[in-house]
Amino acid sequence: SDLRFSLTAPLCLLTLLLLPLSLGAPISPAEPISQAYSLALYMQKNTSTLLQTYLQYQGSPFSDPGFSAPELQLSSLPPAAVSFKTWHALDDGERLGHAQGAFLALTQHLQLVGDDQRDLNPGSPILLAQLGAARLRAQGLLGNMAAIMTALGLPIPPEEDTLGVVAFGASAFERKCRGYVVTREYGHWTDRAVRDLALLKAKYPG
Amino acid sequence: MALFSAFQTTFLLALLSLKTYQSEVLSEPLSLAPESLEVSIDSARQCLHLQWSVHNLAYHQELKMVFQIEISRIKTSNVIWVENYSTTVKRNQVLRWSWESKLPLECAKHSVRMRGAVDDAQVPELRFWSNWTSWEEVDVQSSLGHDPLFVFPKDKLVEEGSNVTICYVSRSHQNNISCYLEGVRMHGEQLDPNVCVFHLKNVPFIRETGTNIYCKADRGDVIKGIVLFVSKVFEETKDFSCETRDLKTLNCTWAPGSDAGLLTQLSQSYTLFESFSGKKTLCKHKSWCNWQVPPDSQEMYNFTLTAENYLRKRSVHLLFNLTHRVHPMAPFNVFVKNVSATNATMTWKVHSVGNYSTLLCQIELYGEGKVIQKQNVSVKVNGKHLMKKLEPSTEYAAQVRCANANHFWKWSEWTRRNFTTAEAAPSEAPDVWRNVKSVQGHCVVTLFWKPLSKLQANGKILFYNVVLENLDRPSTLKLLSIPAPANGTELTLDQCSYQIRVTANNSVGTSPASVIAVSGDPGNKEVEEERVRGTEDGFCLSWKPQPGDVTGYVVEWCERPGDPLCDLQWKNLGPDTTSTVVSSDAFRPGVRYNFRIYGISTERIPYLLEKKTGYSQELVPSDNPQVLMSNLTSYSFTLSWKDYAAESQPGFVRGYSLYLKSKAARCLPGSEKAVLSDDSICCKYKIDNPKQKTFVVENLQPASFYEFFLTPYTSVGEGPQGAFTKVTTPDEYSHILIRVILPMIFSILLIMILCYLKSQWMKEKCYPDIPDPYKSSVLSLIKSKENPRLTIMNVKDCIPDAIEVINKQEGTRKSLTETEPTKPTYLYLLPTEKSHSGPGPCICFENFTYNQAASDSASCGHVPVTPKAQPQLGLLTSSENGPKALGKNYVNSLGEIPAGETNLNYVSQLASPMCGDKSSLPTNPPEPALCSEYKTQMAIPMGLASPPSITLLDEGEHDH
Repeated sequence: SDLRFSLTAPLCLLTLLLLPLSLGAPISPAEPISQAYSLALYMQKNTSTLLQTYLQYQGSPFSDPGFSAPELQLSSLPPAAVSFKTWHALDDGERLGHAQGAFLALTQHLQLVGDDQRDLNPGSPILLAQLGAARLRAQGLLGNMAAIMTALGLPIPPEEDTLGVVAFGASAFERKCRGYVVTREYGHWTDRAVRDLALLKAKYPG
Repeated sequence: MALFSAFQTTFLLALLSLKTYQSEVLSEPLSLAPESLEVSIDSARQCLHLQWSVHNLAYHQELKMVFQIEISRIKTSNVIWVENYSTTVKRNQVLRWSWESKLPLECAKHSVRMRGAVDDAQVPELRFWSNWTSWEEVDVQSSLGHDPLFVFPKDKLVEEGSNVTICYVSRSHQNNISCYLEGVRMHGEQLDPNVCVFHLKNVPFIRETGTNIYCKADRGDVIKGIVLFVSKVFEETKDFSCETRDLKTLNCTWAPGSDAGLLTQLSQSYTLFESFSGKKTLCKHKSWCNWQVPPDSQEMYNFTLTAENYLRKRSVHLLFNLTHRVHPMAPFNVFVKNVSATNATMTWKVHSVGNYSTLLCQIELYGEGKVIQKQNVSVKVNGKHLMKKLEPSTEYAAQVRCANANHFWKWSEWTRRNFTTAEAAPSEAPDVWRNVKSVQGHCVVTLFWKPLSKLQANGKILFYNVVLENLDRPSTLKLLSIPAPANGTELTLDQCSYQIRVTANNSVGTSPASVIAVSGDPGNKEVEEERVRGTEDGFCLSWKPQPGDVTGYVVEWCERPGDPLCDLQWKNLGPDTTSTVVSSDAFRPGVRYNFRIYGISTERIPYLLEKKTGYSQELVPSDNPQVLMSNLTSYSFTLSWKDYAAESQPGFVRGYSLYLKSKAARCLPGSEKAVLSDDSICCKYKIDNPKQKTFVVENLQPASFYEFFLTPYTSVGEGPQGAFTKVTTPDEYSHILIRVILPMIFSILLIMILCYLKSQWMKEKCYPDIPDPYKSSVLSLIKSKENPRLTIMNVKDCIPDAIEVINKQEGTRKSLTETEPTKPTYLYLLPTEKSHSGPGPCICFENFTYNQAASDSASCGHVPVTPKAQPQLGLLTSSENGPKALGKNYVNSLGEIPAGETNLNYVSQLASPMCGDKSSLPTNPPEPALCSEYKTQMAIPMGLASPPSITLLDEGEHDH
């Protein structure tokens, strides 16, 4: 019931944020940009907590102080790291498209990590709640970005299955690693989204 | 092995002979070799699964064969396992065999080959090995993919304490790989340049979520690892037991071992197998299982409970006869019938256990929470038990349980019923006591009785009957019925000669009567009160045995003395008793209890024998007396405390202590030194007689300060420390003085009043008015003369130190050396002076500074003054510098005293007597003590009768 309760609040937030989308395309992109920016900022505050909580439950080496494995990547998850020049040169469509694709992949991966952890760490409701909350926020940001793209008259990329069928044969250790990459990249992409949206906010003032 | 080689040799010999035989019979020898060998891998279990078949068998032929399997690691020459596998083979049957590798199969390349031989008695001639199959290579590494590092085995599940082998496979030759178990580096052995093996021995259980083992390269961030799931050892199931309640179902129970410690991977399953029937059931619950007893009433059962998890299997066995494991159901239809005052019957039914079985039932009877009766009864179907010796009107509980009488296994649960026995008539007479008072000629008898105990009452007491029988008129009876729960009544009788019978009644009947008589003589004769000493256990009272017929004694007391409802208590004692201990929880320390001991005559009339009084525990006095002091004298005072209520103290007052503080270091006789609680020292008088309520403190010092304090004491101690009263003894003479002074004050007052009343007279007598020259009649006389300059001289106009030399008469001259003081001659200023000859007014000195020479031989001397001759006066007046000449003259004259006939005498005018007789002056010469005095000089107004003198003064005035 604790888990459910902690999920209810972000759900309400999500509903609110998705409201403009359901009402039809707004004329000005400033409002959805502003809303998305607020959500991204809010998400940014919790990303490091999520990563720390996650690592804490995985045992050594993950729970060791200062653990970091930047080379661990997932082929199914696009990395957030990009050179500043490249990033800056992106046009609105590419910028939003990258973020859209990344958060779509993140929502699916966070679901997978949540399932993995329910199996590997069933006695840790805090971690499970945080993973669930992160997934809902990623979905919320996805909706906001769709609203921005609609407002800017950009095509919304179709939802696709980023995980495919490869994910299920992983060993317990691989699943722990996978979860690490996902929670880490969730933080990186949230940081990047804040920058993206700040740029757009400056470009389309209200 | 030796046996096997011997067998092989003989087998080969036989085979050779058979071959020669076969070559003769058949064109080619029969080859029964394993074919189509396939090897597959089970990574999860690290097993190699082999499957093959033997083709060259006749249809429907079955042969026993043995297959020798060789497994080599890394290279084919490194054979690590050889095993002979015997089985029965059919034509084209797929044969399977598995081998579990200690080393993860991914760590090294494995190769497998095998050969077969017939091992059948039917064809002993075919007992020779076939050719080896070709090596079947199993190389998992080649299919691993392109990752730089791998760690195996993945997600292995082992029991705590087992040994595990782990390896990593690295694709890069240059990189140093280090591996860690829960953060602790492990050291392994290099199997080949790319593979390293770690042998973990006795792995511990760390946590439910598994143990992380990971490897990483020195360069780069490559991390690969595995999670080793270590479970706790699966424990043996304990306390496996089966029983039946109805011979239809067996219920088997056991205590499962502790959890394996892993959350999802290891779940236990329990299976129950019965070997006689060969039936098996998978148990749904972790700790119990039900088994249906077949209707053919199988008697013996042999159960095997198998507990199993992924890693281990454990079994326990149980063999028993069904009828020996009967746990009967609780008895039903249990009733308690025919309940009388002392008996009751319990009936019940039992569930039958088998056709011919008997049950043993146990009945327990509870009264007031305790088992009072216990009985065993054999029962087929219906049980019945009579419970006797019950108490009337009492609550009981009866319960019954049963067990198999022939083969006791377990008692059933209890079935319980409560019941209450019927009432019976009260068995005992109520304990009755009385109090008799005489009010206005009537006899007021207050009756008290104690409620009957539950055992005596035998039911609920509804009322008490009081029957009054007048002893003078035995035929008249009076009946009073007093409803319960009254414990007494008050009767007003016209006379005090009655016999009273009291009975208690319940719904069934009447108790025996309690008889008490009251007579006209209340029997409250004066009896000396005796003191008794109480203890924690109560008061021990004893009395003198009474001669004559005494049917018993009664001790009476109040539990709350001082209270109008004093809570009268009494105690009946037998006629042979002469002492008793009265104890009560109501007794409080410091409370005085009075006891009266009565003897009961044969006529049931009580008469007072003795009175006792005492405290269960004496306390120190609660308050000190108000002490009055009287008869205070210089040497004693009297103290009294008549009003002090010694009787109301929480202990018997044994006397009083008087503390006296004084400045005297020693205590007076009759007292001794005592140290008070504040460390001050004082004297203590002990008054041993508690009835003495006055005390005289004697032998005191007059005019001294004393402090006293009086406190009573009991056997426990003295009363509370209080304030000292201060007292000062009067002076020895003060009373005498008072007797003298008071009358004196009165008389003085009287005189003063008198003086006031006669003030005018007094004034005239003592201090008449000084005549004012201005108001004098002389003034008018002067005014009438022609001299306008002549006025009355003012005092302020006087020039002091005006000297007048007076002639001394020859006849009165005496030597200065004479000790006898010379009578001075004074000038009498008053004009009334007539006795003086010569010029008349003069001035007199009394400054003895000028008489220094004269006082050489005497303390004081007065130079007689004689009237001075006129010529000297003239000298004075003619002198230019009056005072100087005067001084010179004076000094000279001093030196010429023996020759000179004149002398100086200086008299302050203020010292001149103003009042009194002029004649008294010579007789009262100045005292020697006054010699040192210097009297200021002032000109005395001249008498008007000497005009020349006045003139002189006027001139003198001009001189200044």
